[in-house]
Amino acid sequence: MEKEFIKNTERSITLNVTGGKIDSFRSLEKTTGTVRVYENGCIGVAGCLGEPDENELTEKAKEALAFGIPYPCHMEEPLEMEKRQEKEIIPVPEFIPTMQAFLDRLGEMCPKFAFSNKISQTYNYTEYKNSAGRHLVSSGWTLSVELVIQNRGSGNLFDTFLGWSGDHFDPDALAGQVKKEYDAFYTPADLEPGRYPVIAGSFDLIARFFQHFVGDLYAAGASLVSGKLGQKMFSDKLSVQCDMNPETAPGTSFFDAEGCVASDFRPTIIEKGVLTGLLTTKKTAEQYGLSTLGTAAGAYDGVPELGFRSVYFEPTEKSLREMVPGKAVYVVVASGGDATPDGHFATPVQMAYLMEDGKLVGRLPDLSIRGDFFDMFGKDYIGTVHDDPLKGSMLSAVMMDVTK
Amino acid sequence: MIQFRDGFYADIRTEDRSRTFISYKAGILEEMKNRVEKQAFLRVYDGNLWYYSSVTDVDHLQKALDELYSAAKENAHILDDPMVKRFEKNQDSIMSFQDCSVRDISLKEKQDLLLSYLPLLSEDPCITMPMGEYLDRNSLFHFQSSLGADITYDYQTCGVVISCSMVEGEKKFTGNWQKGGTRFDQMQGLEEEIRKSVKEQTSFLRNSVPVEAGKYPVVLSPMAAGVFAHESFGHKSESDFMLSDESMKNEWELGKMVGSPILSIVEYGNVPGCGFVPYDDEGTKARKNYLIRNGALAGRLHSAQTAAALDEGMTGNARAIDCTFEPIVRMTTTYIEGGDLDFDELIAPIKKGYYIKDIRHGSGMSTFTIAPSLAYEIIDGKLGRPVQISVLTGNVFETLGLIDGLTKDVELLSFVTGGCGKMEQMNLPVGFGGPYVRVSSMNVQ
Repeated sequence: MEKEFIKNTERSITLNVTGGKIDSFRSLEKTTGTVRVYENGCIGVAGCLGEPDENELTEKAKEALAFGIPYPCHMEEPLEMEKRQEKEIIPVPEFIPTMQAFLDRLGEMCPKFAFSNKISQTYNYTEYKNSAGRHLVSSGWTLSVELVIQNRGSGNLFDTFLGWSGDHFDPDALAGQVKKEYDAFYTPADLEPGRYPVIAGSFDLIARFFQHFVGDLYAAGASLVSGKLGQKMFSDKLSVQCDMNPETAPGTSFFDAEGCVASDFRPTIIEKGVLTGLLTTKKTAEQYGLSTLGTAAGAYDGVPELGFRSVYFEPTEKSLREMVPGKAVYVVVASGGDATPDGHFATPVQMAYLMEDGKLVGRLPDLSIRGDFFDMFGKDYIGTVHDDPLKGSMLSAVMMDVTK
Repeated sequence: MIQFRDGFYADIRTEDRSRTFISYKAGILEEMKNRVEKQAFLRVYDGNLWYYSSVTDVDHLQKALDELYSAAKENAHILDDPMVKRFEKNQDSIMSFQDCSVRDISLKEKQDLLLSYLPLLSEDPCITMPMGEYLDRNSLFHFQSSLGADITYDYQTCGVVISCSMVEGEKKFTGNWQKGGTRFDQMQGLEEEIRKSVKEQTSFLRNSVPVEAGKYPVVLSPMAAGVFAHESFGHKSESDFMLSDESMKNEWELGKMVGSPILSIVEYGNVPGCGFVPYDDEGTKARKNYLIRNGALAGRLHSAQTAAALDEGMTGNARAIDCTFEPIVRMTTTYIEGGDLDFDELIAPIKKGYYIKDIRHGSGMSTFTIAPSLAYEIIDGKLGRPVQISVLTGNVFETLGLIDGLTKDVELLSFVTGGCGKMEQMNLPVGFGGPYVRVSSMNVQ
């Protein structure tokens, strides 16, 4: 009988912000434990909330083998590896005053904006070990600033948004970016309907198509990319990976729920336009004769399941200006769109700026954008930029039809 | 026995939650588990800041509470605080599911029920990836506060979800069917309902045609109308968004006309189903709240914080997805009230339009969106061919004003997957529904 043991701990401090003022402080500490055992082609799983007792969980997992859930047993080979970042980003006693000072600064710089929602600092610890001798430990801190911004007097739930997370706190950079958006927000801009470069978060652009990279759908022939593994389908400039590298995805474990570790901590789906990988677990990989991607997730008391952490688009240019000289639509909020089964995508854009030569010049009215999956990531894919406008940001540009 | 201290407001919410999840994919058992979790969420308020703690060690709540007290500052006037004055002191016990708890039904019985439905997905060759899930939840909530509130109630949902990939040549479609309820026996005998739905969806795969984009009259099913009410207006009624900007109260003045005179939208936590919340997570008793009545803005949803800030009454809408989070203003069950037509009368005047039968998702800010999964043409007052529509959009307030017909009957829907998302708190169970709703013009893409 083979066995895996996983322990996860999450500790977080979260501040609630209402109208630029911190009005609550929440502390959370949650530890979970998991044991999975494998015997005769089946898996048994047991999990607990709180500090795990490995022996007790092992006995319960053995009992769960009786459910007869088929699962292949492919233990990862022996490996000792740990990547730990134990130092908090902002000491807890300083968290409220530091963040209130930051919010006060934003309020002074942007008096017509009202800031609300959450700022949090989170510690994640994950330990994985298996009976084949693999033992992996990951830990890290993440600071997350998720501020809803209302234009005072607009009557809207929210008008724009500041979302950033990373392993450091640079109030000057964050405040500087908010000020640039603030100045552009109150400068009306317009655009004739037509085809334009559209800049958005890389994952936001591909999110509605992500199901098509799931191994099950691929094998069923129901994916837009079914039968195309190993084939060139997209732009030469497009390389898409799952980011499990703590250098670029702070707080993320560098291994998946089945103990898989990718060579550069970034399992690859698309390499220079060629479809090279699909989202699988060890079970679905074996079922469909595919490779294990190494991005599995799983509830603490559950069988491994499909998972995906942060997306990583390989950068193609160094700055937004290099990537998109001239006019572009810089999307901040685009909610509610969808794609038809044959890959035609359309979404309203609730908040966008006109960008020229990499600079925000004004706020655009409500727009609609449309594109086709194969074109958006094929002939219409322009590129990806990292760390512009903020360290840790990742933005991609594609040509799309823009209408009002 | 919890010892609350003078000079603070405090409350403790505990939940004992049992969940069952069984899933099959392509005839193979994927997951079968029953998870039982006990968690608590504690709050202390000193008149300046809220201090929250989420704990899994429910045997030592006094210790966790005392830690929060030590972080807060004693306030001799805390009972005069406008927010604290609004907290209710209800003492009640509402146990609706003791005689039919899903905790008392064996995993084997639940598994057998699901297995009985899976063969229905083998009746058409276009189905390539049949999947089935059984889900249930039974929760026992206990709320107590320093003001003397002491409430216990139970909550239950269970359901079956069937989904599949459908492929024929180059045509692809993702089929879905779901039945949500509150009792296990409601999940039995569903064969014909499932068979009928699968047949409709395979027909959609084979026969649907692309829509001609443009502006058309649209008829929304109770499902689509419910999502529209929830997304387009329900979220705007959550008054926490009004706290940051004093001008909001003028923008959202009660009595202002915001929709067609035939439109009334209700929000009520005491409706059986997945949005059943007889007491909210601050111990406030559910009320029937009109958000829109005869086209006029009639009310909004509150927690104690927002009710105090806007000097309005409590509504019973402070909710958290679980004991990891603090309660915030959320919906429970939201629905449009019925009108005076039947379905045939509703579609009769439409020369060319669309009927939205089922949807994948919706959203609503200044512009709403609805992504249909099943839609049909309406030609000369009759239903026609199935059509592929990627999204319906429109300005929320313009569209609320363009509602010009409602059927008499109202259907309220309950679900076991998905739910409402708001910032960090995703998948909160909510109910919604309404009559069939006719809108004179919507942007169809």
